[in-house]
Amino acid sequence: MTRRSRELETLLLAMFAAVPLYFTYAISQLSLVLFHLFMAAVVVRVALSRGPELLPARMMRWLAIAYVPFYIVDAVFLSRSAIAASTHLVLFIAAYQPVESVHRSNHAQRILTTALIFIASLATSTHITIVVFVFVFAFFVFRQLMYLSHQETAGVLGRDYGEPPTAKAALFYLTGAVALGALLFPLLPRLRNPLVRGFAGPLAGASTALNDTINLNRRRTTPQDATIVARVWIEEEARPYFTPVRLRGMLYDRYENGEWKQNLRGLRQVSSRGGIHTIAHAGGIERAAIVQLRSMKGKVFLPTGTYEVKGMQTLYEGAAPETYYTYDDPPLTLEVRLSAEPRPLRPSHLEMSGYPISPAVETLAHTIVGDETSVSGKAALIEQYMLRNFRYIPNDASAPPKSLERFLLFDRGGHCEYFAAGMVALLNATGVPARIAGGFYGGQLNPLTGYYAIRREDAHAWTEVWDGDRWLTYDATPASLRPGAAQSNPLQVYLAALSDSATFFWDRYVLTFGLGDQISLFTDLFTWVGESSSKLRERMSAATGHLARDASTLLVVLVALSLGALLFRRRRRRAFDFLAEYLTAQGITVGPAMTVEEALRQLRMQHPEAAVELEPLVALYEEESFSSSRDANRARALRRKLAELKT
Amino acid sequence: MSSAAFEFNGVVRFTKIGTTYLAATMVLAISAINTGNNALYIGVALMLGSLLLSGIASKGGLKHLHAEIGGMEEVWAGRPAHGTLRVRNESRIWNVRDVVITSEALAEPVLLAEVQRRGTVEVDAAFLFPRRGLAHVHSVDSYTRYPFGFFLKKRRLRVRSEVLVYPRVSTGEDVREQFRPAPGEESVANLPGPGSEIHSFREYARGDSLRHVHWKKSASLGRWIMKQTEAESSSSIHVLVDPYQPQGTPDDELEQMISSAATLIYHAVQRDLDVTLSLPSTTLRARQNQSASPLFRALALLEASPVPVHQFVERDTIVFSVMTSSGAKTGDLLGHERDSSLGTGITGDPASRRG
Repeated sequence: MTRRSRELETLLLAMFAAVPLYFTYAISQLSLVLFHLFMAAVVVRVALSRGPELLPARMMRWLAIAYVPFYIVDAVFLSRSAIAASTHLVLFIAAYQPVESVHRSNHAQRILTTALIFIASLATSTHITIVVFVFVFAFFVFRQLMYLSHQETAGVLGRDYGEPPTAKAALFYLTGAVALGALLFPLLPRLRNPLVRGFAGPLAGASTALNDTINLNRRRTTPQDATIVARVWIEEEARPYFTPVRLRGMLYDRYENGEWKQNLRGLRQVSSRGGIHTIAHAGGIERAAIVQLRSMKGKVFLPTGTYEVKGMQTLYEGAAPETYYTYDDPPLTLEVRLSAEPRPLRPSHLEMSGYPISPAVETLAHTIVGDETSVSGKAALIEQYMLRNFRYIPNDASAPPKSLERFLLFDRGGHCEYFAAGMVALLNATGVPARIAGGFYGGQLNPLTGYYAIRREDAHAWTEVWDGDRWLTYDATPASLRPGAAQSNPLQVYLAALSDSATFFWDRYVLTFGLGDQISLFTDLFTWVGESSSKLRERMSAATGHLARDASTLLVVLVALSLGALLFRRRRRRAFDFLAEYLTAQGITVGPAMTVEEALRQLRMQHPEAAVELEPLVALYEEESFSSSRDANRARALRRKLAELKT
Repeated sequence: MSSAAFEFNGVVRFTKIGTTYLAATMVLAISAINTGNNALYIGVALMLGSLLLSGIASKGGLKHLHAEIGGMEEVWAGRPAHGTLRVRNESRIWNVRDVVITSEALAEPVLLAEVQRRGTVEVDAAFLFPRRGLAHVHSVDSYTRYPFGFFLKKRRLRVRSEVLVYPRVSTGEDVREQFRPAPGEESVANLPGPGSEIHSFREYARGDSLRHVHWKKSASLGRWIMKQTEAESSSSIHVLVDPYQPQGTPDDELEQMISSAATLIYHAVQRDLDVTLSLPSTTLRARQNQSASPLFRALALLEASPVPVHQFVERDTIVFSVMTSSGAKTGDLLGHERDSSLGTGITGDPASRRG
């Protein structure tokens, strides 16, 4: 590697470190583009052997001075974020340093600046592809550090630039560092600072496509966005009862001014006991599930039927009743308990929605339900009627918005919100309280992980009906046309499952790895060790019977031998300690990192006679300490001489 | 070129890069703990992994190094001697790069660019020994910043090397002039001694060899007459070194005296003179075209004597002693218990030569 190619590598590495910032939106795209354009121009100059001085060094220096007040302006008025302004500053420094390097060697500082850009990129990234970025970056940084180390060593000795370490060596150390890093990652403490929350904000780009209100007079589209917003694992035997999965996060129970709204009443903290938040009374079949949830602006989408949640420090009910929020940083991994017939802790808003029922709608409703008097019977009849007689029209962006009245009486076609709202209107017309539930439906089972992957495009609305005791779920949207019902070819399914597995692993065991996981890890480890040793003991006692006693004896012998070895080591240490003590008495302070020979050298300067006396003993001590072979005579001689010195 | 930048007490030292790296890791770790951001934890884990690996690699690499010193033939005190430093890496895992070897015996630090695992590197090295005698090199210090330059690691490598260091010899032009034989010394000595030409005749003395009987004169005179040959002193010098070091005399004076003697012998050999060196226990000769190494070896190993040593000073002998006096004459007995001022105070001064 020539100097020029190394310089090019340094420049390209700084540019590469900033690439993830394009995807995380941590800073403005304009500043990133400017940075990359400037650096690219410097790269071209260096490649053409014209030096990195794209701008004269003097001008760069003035720009650097001018940047100091600009930083404040940036933080207060432009970026309005100290973090973004600091990232801009680091990018400026990275652009400034190549020009400065013409006059002053600053290779180490440049690597540090590049590392800061890397950290800014890393801190704001959550996608699994960041792993590849980390590896590539680490490889080149290792190469640069090895080169720097080599250069410094040669420089101190006044030698010329020699052959720097190779890419192979960098790869070797990258492998080792990654292995050690992987071992360390789960062990690093996940103890949060309770006073300062830190600067990590919610993750971007993971909204739900669900609105706070439903206004059927406005045009609405559901984006075809395959971003996974949640994963739900339900044990196989519970699937008949709790799938298709419905993640509920919105409840529209009030009609006002042409919109279906949530009945807001403010946040109320849900108390927890032992880390478990109880949000409903259980009823019917109960099963456990795990929900892995991406950020949704603090909104927690829980499977219908959830009555207990574990895995959050704080949980709030609201702003609407039976919808939930948390301030915990996403992504979340929740353990939930599901029941087939949950009852709300505090039933609320059990009256009609307030939708103005027209006589035609009322007539239609009564026609459908006929003489049926039970709530569930009425709801089932209306659901069946709509399933049979209505068409699902997904994302009809070209069609003009229509009223619910028109949907029910004339068009009989629309998206899921029409179906949900229409059913509520028909139920209200028959005197049954009902509400629209919003969230996600279905998802795709990943056979490799056992998780249902719920995507943004699975956003859906359905109906909940109050039967006097609990809310019942009905969905009038034709099942074959609901989200996630589209068929894919097997290869696509397999590849999607594979990709999702990797992302799942990343989300579950990297991004959401927390204190609870650490505790589980250690608990599992101790359990495994305990069980393994029990099994071993059982096998031993079963196979050898009386030999178990011998094993105990063997254990005692092993412990004794270990103690013996320890004492032997202590004896060697004692020799050092004693010599150190003697030297200290002579006025030589022997530090823990000082060798006896070094101390002797000092003694020689201060007390030559004492040094002459001690010299043979030190030689013997060193021989004994560093010799590869054991010599009993030598050890005896050392002990004897030490004893003489003591006297 | 200095080894001072490397030398330090202890076995490990953080470099400037290492300190900065550690500080950055700490800051990132605090950020990770504070935010609970696992992306930052990945960075911290990788950085700590690198730090750990750096320590393991540099320690593991140096731990398996073994050094040997060799290839030194003639080693003179105070003059760089070229030899070889052979370093073997017995590690099965770690290649080591940028290893700097320093030692009191090395004239300058040696840089080993790379010692591959299970490999050996042999480099030329300049050694420098300040004093004559048998020098023992017990250890050399190895240092490395490899792989990432976070630490400067040190390990003392045990070596078993014994080097005979000849006395310090001055070789400057002025010194050569100082030790140039005086005018006329290269002519015939006109003295009896070993040689081929007949110088004179004398009466037989007990112990004389019959080979030196002059038969013709003996027959004419009726008694045994011995012939004496003329000494060929023009091409030889006789040097006597007195190792007596009276109490209170600094070691440096003795060393200086031996160095002067060695310098004289060195230049005499350079001029193809036969040199005879008398020491208390032995007399050594170096004839023309012969190596003078035995003489220098003897001077290298000459030890100071705390008591006066009896040595017979022949005529025309150049005496080196730490004593200052009027000088010795041929046939004098250099015995300080008899007269401590008898020894000559020649310190490389040809004028002190006695004849």
